[in-house]
Formats: sequence, C-alpha cells, structure tokens
Amino acid sequence: MESVYAQYVWAVPIAPLLAFLVLTLMRCVVKGSAAFIGVGSSLIACVLSILILLERLSASTNVYTVNVEWLSFGAVHFELGYELTNLNALMLVIVTVVSTLVNLYAKGYMADDERQTVFFAYIGLFTFSMLGLVISPNLLQLYIFWELVGVCSFLLIGFWYERPAARAAAKKAFIMTRIGDVGLLIAILILFWHMPNHALDFQSIGQVFASVDTMSQYGISAGLATWIASLIFLGAIGKSGQFPLHTWLPDAMEGPTPISALIHAATMVAAGVYLVARTFDIFQLSQTAMLIVASVGGFTAIFAATIAIAQRDMKRILAYSTVSQLGYMMLALGLGAVTAGIFHLFTHAFFKALLFLGAGSVIHAVHTQNIFQINGRGRSMKITAWTFAIGALALSGVPPLSGFWSKDAILSAAWESNKLLFAIGVVAAFLTAFYMSRLFFIVFTRAKRVHTEGTDSPIHESPAVMTIPLVVLAVLAVVAGFVYTPFYSGFETWITGVAASDHTNVIVIIVSTIVALSGIGLGYFIYGPNGVREDRWSNVIKPLYHLVERKYYVDELYKLFAVYPLKVLGKVLDVFDRYIIDGIVRYTASCTVQFGKLFTRIQNGQLQSYGLLSLYGFSALLLLLLLLGKGLW
Amino acid sequence: MIPWLTLLAFSPLVGVLLLSLVPSDRVKLLRCIGIAASLLPLLLAFFIYAYVNVEGQGSSLTERYNWIAIPLNIEAIQPYVQSWAFEIDYHLSIGGLSLPLVVMTAIVTAMAAWASLTIKQRVKSYYIWFLLLEVGMLGVFMARDLFLFFLFFEWTLVPMFFLIGIWGFAKREKAANRFLVYNGLGSALLLVAFLILTVTAGLAVHGDAGASSHLVYSGDLEQMIRQLGDAQSFVNTLPGPASSFNPFYLSEAWRATAFILLLIAFGIKLPIFPFHTWMLRVHVEAPTPVVMLHSGVLLKMGAYGLIQFGLAILPQSFASWSTVLAIIGLVNIVYGALLAYVQKELRLLLAYSSISHMGFVLLGIAAMNDIGLQGAVLQMVSHGFISALFFLLVGCLLERTGTSRIDELGGLANRLPFLSALLLLAGLASLGLPGLSGFMAELLSLLGLYGQLPWAAIAGGLGIILSAVYVLRGVLAITYGPLDMRFAQLKGTQAVEALPAVVLTFAIILIGVLPAVVTIPIEQGIERMIHIIQAGR
Repeated sequence: MESVYAQYVWAVPIAPLLAFLVLTLMRCVVKGSAAFIGVGSSLIACVLSILILLERLSASTNVYTVNVEWLSFGAVHFELGYELTNLNALMLVIVTVVSTLVNLYAKGYMADDERQTVFFAYIGLFTFSMLGLVISPNLLQLYIFWELVGVCSFLLIGFWYERPAARAAAKKAFIMTRIGDVGLLIAILILFWHMPNHALDFQSIGQVFASVDTMSQYGISAGLATWIASLIFLGAIGKSGQFPLHTWLPDAMEGPTPISALIHAATMVAAGVYLVARTFDIFQLSQTAMLIVASVGGFTAIFAATIAIAQRDMKRILAYSTVSQLGYMMLALGLGAVTAGIFHLFTHAFFKALLFLGAGSVIHAVHTQNIFQINGRGRSMKITAWTFAIGALALSGVPPLSGFWSKDAILSAAWESNKLLFAIGVVAAFLTAFYMSRLFFIVFTRAKRVHTEGTDSPIHESPAVMTIPLVVLAVLAVVAGFVYTPFYSGFETWITGVAASDHTNVIVIIVSTIVALSGIGLGYFIYGPNGVREDRWSNVIKPLYHLVERKYYVDELYKLFAVYPLKVLGKVLDVFDRYIIDGIVRYTASCTVQFGKLFTRIQNGQLQSYGLLSLYGFSALLLLLLLLGKGLW
Repeated sequence: MIPWLTLLAFSPLVGVLLLSLVPSDRVKLLRCIGIAASLLPLLLAFFIYAYVNVEGQGSSLTERYNWIAIPLNIEAIQPYVQSWAFEIDYHLSIGGLSLPLVVMTAIVTAMAAWASLTIKQRVKSYYIWFLLLEVGMLGVFMARDLFLFFLFFEWTLVPMFFLIGIWGFAKREKAANRFLVYNGLGSALLLVAFLILTVTAGLAVHGDAGASSHLVYSGDLEQMIRQLGDAQSFVNTLPGPASSFNPFYLSEAWRATAFILLLIAFGIKLPIFPFHTWMLRVHVEAPTPVVMLHSGVLLKMGAYGLIQFGLAILPQSFASWSTVLAIIGLVNIVYGALLAYVQKELRLLLAYSSISHMGFVLLGIAAMNDIGLQGAVLQMVSHGFISALFFLLVGCLLERTGTSRIDELGGLANRLPFLSALLLLAGLASLGLPGLSGFMAELLSLLGLYGQLPWAAIAGGLGIILSAVYVLRGVLAITYGPLDMRFAQLKGTQAVEALPAVVLTFAIILIGVLPAVVTIPIEQGIERMIHIIQAGR
C-alpha cells in the first residue's frame, strides 16, 4: 500500500512550531486566543500522527526517510530530515496526544496567569522540538532537538521566574542534563570519525553495528563500541533523570503542573529511553554497556522509589516515581527487552500524565502541594479523585490496568535473564504500590483533622476544561495495556520487526499482582481512613527514615564535591589572575618606568653634573682601553 | 573595473569628511551622519557578499597596486640583476577567510554606531574616531600584504585609544594606556615576525632570469605562502649568488622564532592566557558601544591573523605545535570559564567568557583540518555577534540602573521583559544552544579536533558544561528572581534601542539555522589552506 500520510510527517512538528512563532512574534495581536492556538496546533499534529500510526499499523512497515543537505564541506555532510519507523510513529502519537490534552488542561490551569501567551508559546516550541527529536533520521539532528527540548524544559521550569526556587531549579535542570549531553556529544564525535563516510544516520549505524562481524569489518573494536554506548547512555542518564544525575527532576516540579505532566513525566524525560532504543544496535554489541544500562536502571528504580515513600510534596512524590519508572524502562532495555521498555514508556506516559494533571487539579483547588496540608481535602473533587485512583492503580500495577501489563513484560524479561534484577524489579514494584497508596489515601480519603491550618472553604471540582483531559487519560490508562499482553505479541513484532513469541509467564503474573496488592494493602493499613499514625512506624526506623527523607543527601554531596570546589577554585584563580598574572604585568611596567626615571635624574640641567658624568665616562673609556691592552697611542 | 574593496574599506571616511564640516553643537545631525556613514560599508559589504556568492568565486575580488618601493643598495648585487628593492603593495582581497568577517564587522559596527546614541559628550569627535576605527578594522580583514596588514592593525589602536580614554568610565585613562602599551608591545613583536618572514621568505625575482631581472623583497602574502610551500623551487628561482644576501631562508630556527613571535603577538589580541589582563579593563572601562566593537571585532583580529597570517604561512610550525595550541586552547576555555563563574561584575564575566570562547578558536586551529578551521571561523563570527549583542544589552542596562553588578541586580524580567529575553537568548547562544550561532562553531571545532587529538576534544567538552554554569549564573541572577524595589520604576525598552538588538539577534539565529552562510564563502580559502598544510607534511 502507498504511504499517504507518511509523506506529511514533517507537518507534525511544523504545526506547533507555527504556533510558537505566531505567539512569539505577534504576541500583542493574538493575546486573547493563546490557548486556542496552542490547543489547535497540537490537535492538528495529533490527528495527523494518529492517521500516520493507523496507516503503519495496517500496512507498510518499511522505513520512510527524507533528507535535505544542511551543512556540507569537505568530509562533512550534515543532513536534516525525517524518518518514519513504527517506533517513531508510536512516539509521535504519545507526544501529540499528551501535548494536546495538556494544552487543553493548561487553558484552565493557567487561566489567571498574565503571561499565558508566553506559556503556550513555550509549549509550542517544546512540542515542536520533541517531535523533531522523535523523527530525527540521524544522531546529530537528534542531538540538536535533544538540546532544544532541554532548553524548553529549562524555560518552563523557570516560568514563574520571580520565585528563587524556580530559578534555582531551572538552572539545575539545565546544568545537570548538560553533563549528560556532553556524553552524547562525545559519542557523536567518536562515531563521526569511526563510521564509514562519517555517517551519523541511524540506518548506517544499524548496518555497521548489525553484528560483531560487521562492526570489526568497519574497524570498530568491541571496546570502542562499549565506550560509544556508555557515552550515549550518559546522555540518557541526564535526560531521563537516572542516578546519579537524577537530582534535577524532582526540583523541576517548581514549574507549572501541566509542564510537569507533559515534559517531566510523559515525553522529554522518556527521550533518554527512546535514545537508547533508537541506538540499541550499538548497545546490543556490548555486554558491558548492557549491564551498565540494566544496573543503573534497576538501581534507580529502587533508589527513587524509596525516596518517594518519605516525601511530603505531592508533585515530588510523583517526580521520584517518574525517576523510578524510567529506571524500570532502562532496566528493560538493559535486559535486551526493547519492546517491554518502550511499552512501559507508552503506558507510563498516559498514567503518569494523568497523575500529574490530577495532582495539579488538587493543587489548583487547595493551593498547597504538601500532602499533609491537603489531608483529605481532595475528597470533594470527585472526578479528580476517581481518575487519580485509576492512575494510581495503573502505576501500582494492578491488573488489568495498563501499568500491570507493561510491568509484567519487564519482569518476565528480568525473570528469564537475571534473577537479581527480577528481585529488584519486584521490590521496586512493591514500593511503588506502597507510596502511591500512601499518596492517594492521605490526599483523598483522610478524615479532616482540626489542626490543619488554612481556610476550610469548600473545595470545588476543577472546570471541565481540566477534567476532560483527566477522563481521557484515565481511559487510556486503562486500555493502553491491552496493546501488548502476555498472550499477544503482535506489538513486539511490529516494533522490532522481528517475529516474536508470546511471553506468558504465570509465576510473574501472580507475583506482580500479589506485590501490587500487598503494597496497596500496607499503604491502606498505615495511611487509610482508619490507619495507624505515620510517625509510629517512621519513629521505629528513624535514622533510615531520615536518610530517605533527605534523599540520601545526594544534593548535599554534589554541593560538597562539585559546586564548592568549583567556586573555591574560581575564587583562587581570581586572586591568582588579579595579583600574580596582572601583578607581573604591573611589575614589568613599573620596572620600565623606574628605569626611565633613573636616567631622568641624570638629565637635571646642571652643568657641573654633566661635567662630572663626562669625566666618569672618559675615565671609564681610558680604563677600558688600558685593560684591553692596546695602548693609548 | 570598480575598486569595490577599496570603496568598502574607506567608505567610512565619507562620514569623517562630512562630520568635520558640521559644527559640533548640531548633535542630532552629527549622530545622523555618524550612523548613516556606518551604513555605507554595511551596504557595500552586503553587496560584495551577494556578488561573490552569486558569482560563485570565493576569491574573485582582489585589488592590487604597487604602492611603496624602496630601492636597496644595487651595487652589492650588480652583475646579477638589474634592480633590487623592498616593495609594499596595496593588495586587498575578499578571499580566504575574509568575507564573513568583513560582513560581521560591517554589521556590528553599524549596530554599535546606532547604540552610540547613549554617548552624550563630544559627539562629533566620537563619531570621527569611531569611523576611523572602522576603516582600520575593515582593512585588517582584507589586506593581503604583511605590511599593509600591519598598518591597518596599528591603525585601529589610535582611535581605540581615544575612544576608551575620552568616553570611558571612571578609570578610563588607565585602561586606555594599558590598552595602548600592551597592544603596542604586541605590534612590535608582530613587526619583528613580519620582518623575519620578509627577509627569509619574501625575496623574489621579477622579470626574466638573468641580468635584466629585478630582485624584490616584499611582504606579499600569496607569494610567501607559495614560496614556503614549495621550498626547493623557491630556492631555484633565486639567482645563485642572491642566496648569500638571504642567509636565513627556511632555517628552522628562524621559522620557530617567527612562529612564537606571531603566536604571542596575535595571542595578546585574541587574547591567550596569560596575556589577557589588558582586555579586562577595556571591557569594564570603555563605553559599551566601543566594547561591542572591541569584544565583537577587535579580538577576532588576533584569531584571524593567527590563521591567515600564521597558519597559512607557517603550516609546519603550527602542525608541530598543534598539541601545544590545543592545550593553550583548553587552558583558555577552562580558565576563562572558572573565572567567569566567580565574577560579580557582568562585564567582567563577559570578558572572561570571551577568553573561554576564544579557546575554541584555538582548538579549531589545532585541529589542522577543514572541519576545525571552519569551526574556528564560525566561532569568530558567532562570538562577534553574540558579544556585541551582550554589550549592547549591558549598555541599555547601565543606562537604566547605573550598574551592571550581578549582585546588585535581580528580577529585571519583570520590568524589562524584552531586554531580559534577549539577554537570555544571548546567554543561550553563548552556551552553544543549537539553532543559535555558537553551537555549530563549537561542535565543528571539537569535531575537527577529535580527528587530530581525541583526548583534547573530549576535554574541550568540559568547556560546554562550564559555559552553561557561568552563563546561567550571570544571566539568571540578573533577569530572574524577585524584583528589587529600586528598579520598580524602570522604563521599558524603546524601539530605538531595540532595533540593533533585533538585527544582531537575527544574525545569531540565521547563522544558527543556516551555518552555511558562513561556511560556503570560506570553503575555498580553507581548502587551499588545508592543501598547504598537507603539502607541508
């Protein structure tokens, strides 16, 4: 079948770009209709990407690529273009669907903000960049958009620029991710010089790294492949908030909540996972790199989940949950289960966006993010509460919601290849269920205690423009999982292009269900309407609880070992520059001046001293002649 | 044949002439003339850019006239040749690396002339010096004779000295003195280097060989490159005994001496650590439109000279010193970045960031391949626009708040959204955001360097992290955060100020989106240079 819509892939990112340009350049003209432009442009992109996805589902599985020369001289041939694969098509739909819903939601959430136009412009720029990233046919273009989504994230985290916390968070997000970005950049440098014809496109990479034989045929050693893969993964670590570069993501919650849902839950942070999946050929050839990916992913999954247990800020809990779930995806990729990883990315995008938007809905109503201050007041928001419950259950992995299926896919992969990682995955799943039920029960079901400060004015449900996205996402959170169940593997074949067998594993299904339910049960036991007081158990393990509550002091360690040394070094060099380098210059200059002054003194205009000087000079000459022994006459 | 290049280089003199006819109290008219006169070379530069690109010949435009001929002692060499002389040609060309730099200079100067509306005193003499400075800068980027280049190079010092010394801030005189002495020292070294080169490699026989030929010493760049590129045939062209009048040619020791002198001379201008302290004062004390020119254009003269009059003439020396160059570049990048990180004065932060950014130019040169050199030139052009934009904005800031100290400013995005947005954009360009001009420059520099010295390129990646650290620290401290009550009454940006900022922003974005606008015109020139380098190996 002919590709009808595939040739219009370029239009998908262009729509939000136009929205951005219009909103930026004609700010005064379009002031009132900013939200309309935002929603409209992303809706166009969304409809088009769904059409493209449907087309690819029905027939063509060939890769569709268009390239235009961008910069060319000597050996350099940089191209820009777009490429459509099944993975890309799926990503396009994820991004545009979430973006459209978030735009719609933001119309309500940001209704009172006077810088609405800027907000929607930034979202437009972000959506453009994210879509550009997804359809990049080569690593350089991917890197360009990779940086652009980073800067959009930065701008939106710091959207409320007057808050010092937002400023700090924005700066931190940019710098932390940039550390990872440099890894990716160096990987590009290496690839450029070692790939045949300096090619950086994914198809060539796929050919060269097809197998160990082809790789060595092109003169790339196994060690080099490990380095390339690890450096690419460093980029993914930064973007996807993996340990140890995860600290920016929870802080990024200073941004408006719709942004947290779009950028810091559903799309941009998943770009790291996408990047690894896209360059998976390189990873596959390096056992070491795969082990690194799996270990970092597994460790992050459990590490962030433990932190999430003790946080008090609703959005931060969700942020640590995101970090943990991204770790899950990385774990899957490290185990070689690309489809499972992508599948979890897919389901996670919906239920985590749902959770964030739900949290935003609550925060919008009660004006606090502290769950103990909310303390059950979310109860009167029926739609928000129910949809949030669905999201929480999906995230906890309760069958048959979407999160269960994607987690099951990852756990079955782990079961087969590495029992330790399986155990880690199970513990992380338990913790996830536990902190989500803690969050839900405290925010939505707790009995109102008298001592909570703040007004007891009635809490109203958010307007329809905010609840509709919640409902849509809730539906997606329920059904998205049926794409890829243990009993149907068509999705895997579609994504990887290789025929796959079903991965039915009854043990895993049973274990993960039990784990999810027991996590929720424990949460209910402690935080439910009739639960025990929290301090009772947190007092029991006080030092440990404190460690977790303070996020293992990672921020403090960074401050101690990176920020302060840099500052001290800078200060020391500043003194060095001022007094040593410039001092030498000044000293040289003053020497010259002094030297000059010395001879000025001789020119004092007194005849006697001139006479004396002449006499000295004459004697010196005579002496010289005598010493040289040539005789006077 | 119209001498376009001469017209371009000297077109600002029209303004100087007109200005001298207007009485000095007609301030408005003087400003109009000053700005209009800076638009003249801008139009010519655009025309030449379009012309050269449409014709598709990078080095098609060149002008050459015999200018000065000093006869030398003919008796010493009588039986072999008919005459013996030292000649300086008036030789301008737009080939090589010149075109993008000339266009950049014309744009930045015109914008700086516009930004000079903030100058309130002695407007007439200000604009006269300003336009004279432009002549020097344009001349530097087009001269193809060592001595003509040197003359233009020196020419820029005088107007600059007065512009700093008369219209600067509190310690202006000291800064102007420091500028003149330090750069004068650099020029002295440059002159020595050029003399060494001329004496050793600038000798050529014109006319038929034998008794009727003319023996000429000259600083002709093309000839020098040719002769040093093919040493053996150079020796063969000389009449036998002539070599006795030229005892140094091709000697290793002289070559190394010339290289080191050139490195220091251009290194002072660039600036290379540890010869940078003079430019810190200029950044702080000079009036902001002059800093736009200084940071935007004058620093590039060092980088340009290093490539066009260093690398092209002495490729072997550069090749054998490439590791050292890369290390110097890395030191510049890291040292500049660390110092920029702790500065409390925005202008000093930007000065140190210039040092850091110029490090990438050195990395590009150390790469010794077309990718690295393209990166170096892109970095020169890009940094020219970015730092001009920065100082334009700093000027607007100083006008309003009276300070550019980071710790005294804050939250300006509230009162000055447009200015803050552009400041942020300049910052993002400076830290190498794709889509803006700095990205491709730094990428190409590192990419080229990786082909030569992988470890150095990886270390250079560190600079990319550090630049984000210091740029964001400075820019966010000023624009983000709560608004200080002192600034609650600030006036927003006016259209008059906005125009040059918009033009510079447009240039930054254009190069970021289409880096080919810079790379295509210099492609031929760089190809030739690479050819020379490879032939020298």
